[in-house]
Amino acid sequence: MDSQELLTIQNLEIQSLVAAVHAAKTADDLLTTTENLAASAHPDGAQCLLEILGFNNPGAAVAAVDGLVAIGQPVVVKLLESLDNSNYTARSWAVRALAGIGDSRGLSVLEHALAQDIGPSVRRAAACGLGNLILSTETELELSQCKRCLTALINASRDSEWVVRYAVTVGLEKRLKQDVSNKDWVIRSQNVLCALAGEEEDEKIVRQRARLALMRLDFS
Amino acid sequence: MRKTEPDYRDNSEGKAINEQEAIRRMQLSDDPSAQYYAAWWLGRNRSQNPEAIQLLRHALHQRRPKDLSAEVEENAVARNAARALGKLGQVAKESIPDLVEILHDDDYGLREAASRSLGQLQATAAIIPILQRLSSGPGIAGAREPGTPRLKEPCDAMLEALGDIGQASTDVISIIKLYVNHERTVVHSSACRALLQLTGDANWGEELVRLLKHDQLQVRRAALMDLGATGWRQALEAISETLAENSLKLIAIKGLSEKSKSEEIDIPLLDAMDSLL
Repeated sequence: MDSQELLTIQNLEIQSLVAAVHAAKTADDLLTTTENLAASAHPDGAQCLLEILGFNNPGAAVAAVDGLVAIGQPVVVKLLESLDNSNYTARSWAVRALAGIGDSRGLSVLEHALAQDIGPSVRRAAACGLGNLILSTETELELSQCKRCLTALINASRDSEWVVRYAVTVGLEKRLKQDVSNKDWVIRSQNVLCALAGEEEDEKIVRQRARLALMRLDFS
Repeated sequence: MRKTEPDYRDNSEGKAINEQEAIRRMQLSDDPSAQYYAAWWLGRNRSQNPEAIQLLRHALHQRRPKDLSAEVEENAVARNAARALGKLGQVAKESIPDLVEILHDDDYGLREAASRSLGQLQATAAIIPILQRLSSGPGIAGAREPGTPRLKEPCDAMLEALGDIGQASTDVISIIKLYVNHERTVVHSSACRALLQLTGDANWGEELVRLLKHDQLQVRRAALMDLGATGWRQALEAISETLAENSLKLIAIKGLSEKSKSEEIDIPLLDAMDSLL
């Protein structure tokens, strides 16, 4: 079998997985068919996975986000485009997918979502995403991207929602686990983690997570 | 700690308000929508201001019929005041007699809000009045109110309050047990939750875990919240795997952590949290 034939067979497979999603009659069917399509991790399934984000079915949306994250970079442009013309719930799932993929083209979206989005679940996904973001290999660009991630996380450390502050500790831990060349930013981030680990923080679970981050980073 | 407040905005003016402003609005007795928002704000921000508490107590007695044009519920301000008081902790204990009185109000929604708040305030004074409302059992107190989707009593809220108050007397246990097999799953779930809280018997926890696999999302959501409230640590894995919004699973797992007396870092629990973000 030559590569062209293989491609055609794969295409047919994806098409039938997409058709199965469209034919789903019940919430359970939708979940199963979405999981199957997501497991293919094939860019041809991306459009359909994006549509599922707008179906108001949290189970299927989670599976679709997993699928989009598995496709990764090839879906970033589509995801960024989808932010303009979808409803709030769909957008929030798209932000989550961008956060999971960690492509630096999503940086502005994540910064904006963490600072401004009205939904705590979106802000929390954005905070994680800023921790996961894969930075440029170009030194200068890397430095500025890293600074933007850390600044956004630090600014969100006083968010009114505990779950966002929790995600900020996770994001900061991930960021600082990689080598951050600007020591000033390391110290500022460390101070934020210390504040979240202390009595000033009302929520036990946030304090615990910040303490764990400090321990893992060997800052304690 | 002062935090940024992106979602406390007053929708009418688009500006964040402060405690002084909430207290001012709470006094506008001819503007129930301002009072409604102010009551919610005071609860949300856990105001510890004595003046705020007096105003909320006063508002519990404010009655107003349902305003259909404004789509505002019956006695909306009083209900919100009742909900707010439950969130304020120790300083709101002086409002317990007012809340107990409301357990006998004609307004179902108000009885429901008062029950939940009395549970949050762990008001032992509420036990006997709640038992009185529930003692007729599923056939009467737990029967459907004709012409409405409601039951005669807000059974789930009252059962949860008994569990939260935490006094495991024989009377309390035997009345809760009347509701364990209630046909409405939310009531069943609330009864299991209260019994798990009061007796620590793992059977009730396992029953709640079974409900996490229920066909209806509503039931799974309720079971998540119930398990979170009990702090039953064995439920961690089942909570993580439930088909429901991650936000709710995170709240449930946070509940497990809060109920634990230990200050030791529970890494598997935090890992479970992380993977749901």
